[in-house]
Amino acid sequence: MMELIQLIIIDALFAAVPAVGFAMVFNVPKKMLIYCAVGGAFAHSLRFLLMDLGLHIEWATLIASSSMGFVGLYWSRKRLIPRPVFTVASVIPMIPGSFAFTTMIGLVELNTGGYSVELMQIVTENGLKTLFILGALSFGLALPSILIYRGRPIV
Amino acid sequence: MSLSHEEQTELTRIAVKAGQILHQHGAESRLVEQTTQRIGLALGAQSIELSVSSDAIVITSLFEGNCITTTRRCYDRGINMQMVCDVLRICIMLEKSLLDADQVKERLTRLTPYKYNRWLVVFMIGLSCASFSHFFGGDLPVYITTFFASAGAMILRQELAHRHHNPFVNFALAAFVATTIASVGVIYEFGENPQIAMAASVLLLVPGFPLINAVSDMLKGHISTGIARWVFATLLSISVAIGIVASMSLTSVSGWL
Repeated sequence: MMELIQLIIIDALFAAVPAVGFAMVFNVPKKMLIYCAVGGAFAHSLRFLLMDLGLHIEWATLIASSSMGFVGLYWSRKRLIPRPVFTVASVIPMIPGSFAFTTMIGLVELNTGGYSVELMQIVTENGLKTLFILGALSFGLALPSILIYRGRPIV
Repeated sequence: MSLSHEEQTELTRIAVKAGQILHQHGAESRLVEQTTQRIGLALGAQSIELSVSSDAIVITSLFEGNCITTTRRCYDRGINMQMVCDVLRICIMLEKSLLDADQVKERLTRLTPYKYNRWLVVFMIGLSCASFSHFFGGDLPVYITTFFASAGAMILRQELAHRHHNPFVNFALAAFVATTIASVGVIYEFGENPQIAMAASVLLLVPGFPLINAVSDMLKGHISTGIARWVFATLLSISVAIGIVASMSLTSVSGWL
C-alpha cells in the first residue's frame, strides 16, 4: 500500500512537468500555470491509479479526463477564464503520442518494405488505441458542457 | 435602444474582430461562436448569425430588418491562450456594462500576444519530454539523452516557426533532429534501454491541441471545422513520422516497431 502511494506521488510529480511545459508552449498566462501543474498531476495520477486497479487504458482515461473536466469547470467559474486554458494542458501528459507516431511510422514502413501481417497488426492496434484514447480524452473534457451547460456559455 | 446604420456597421466590425482573434489563436469553434454572439448582443444587435469555417468567419448582424454581413480570413497565428483569456475578459466586462463600444474596440486593437522567454520554453520542453521517458521506464542516462534531443528539436522548431516556414516542413525537420540526437545515445549505449529516448524525444511534436479541438468541435456540432483540424493534425503526425524514418534510415539505428 505504501509502495503504491509512493508510486502515485512520483507519477504525479513527473506528470506536472509536461503539463507546465506544454502550457508554456500554448502561452497560458503565468498565474494559471500552477492550475495546469495541479491538473496535470491530478489527472495522470488518477489514471495511473485506475489502471493499477485493472481498468483498461481507455476507460481509465475517460474517467480521469472527465474528472479533469469538472475540476476545470470549477476553476473556470472561479477565475472567469475559459476552460481549455487549464484542461487541455492538464491532459497533455495523457495524449497517446507514442501510439500515434508508431501508427504513422508503420504506415511509412508498409509502403517501403511491402505488406506484412506483423506490420499491419502493429498499425491497426496502435491506430485503434490512438483513436479510442483520444476520443475518451476529448469526450471526457467536453462532458460538463455536454451534460450540464448544453449550449449555454460557462463563463 | 436604436442603432444608426454606421453604429451597426461598427458593432459588426468589433464583434468580427473578437471572433477573428479567438479563431487565430486556437479557440474551439463553440467558444468563437458564443463569444462573438455575446459581444454583438451586448453592443445592441438583435441577433448575430455566424458561420465558422476552418480558415474564415462570416458574420451577419441584424437590427430591425437591417442586415450587415462581413467576412474575415483567419490565418493561423499559433496557439495563444493568453489572447483567448483577454478577449473573454473584455466580453465579460462589456456584458457588465463596464466598457462601451469605443473602449472595447480600443482594447481589442491594443491586445498583443504574450510569449514566454524562448530559452525558458526550450528548457521546460526538454524536461517535459524527459519526464515522458520516465513514464516509458527510462533511467537517468535516458532522461539526460531525451532532454538534449528534445531541447535541440525545440530550438529548431522555434527558429523555423519564427521565420514562417511551413509547419509540415518544420515538424519533419524537428523530428529528424530529435531522432538523430537520441540515436547517438543508442549507438554509445547510454543507459539500460536507450531506444526509449528515441520514442520520448519526439513527443514535443504531438499536435495535442489541434486533436483535442478537433474532437470537441465535432462533438459540439461543428463537423466541418472538426474534420479540417483532424486532417491538419494527422498530416502533422505523418510529417513527423517521415522525419523519424529518414533519420533512422540514415543512422541505421532502429528504435521504433
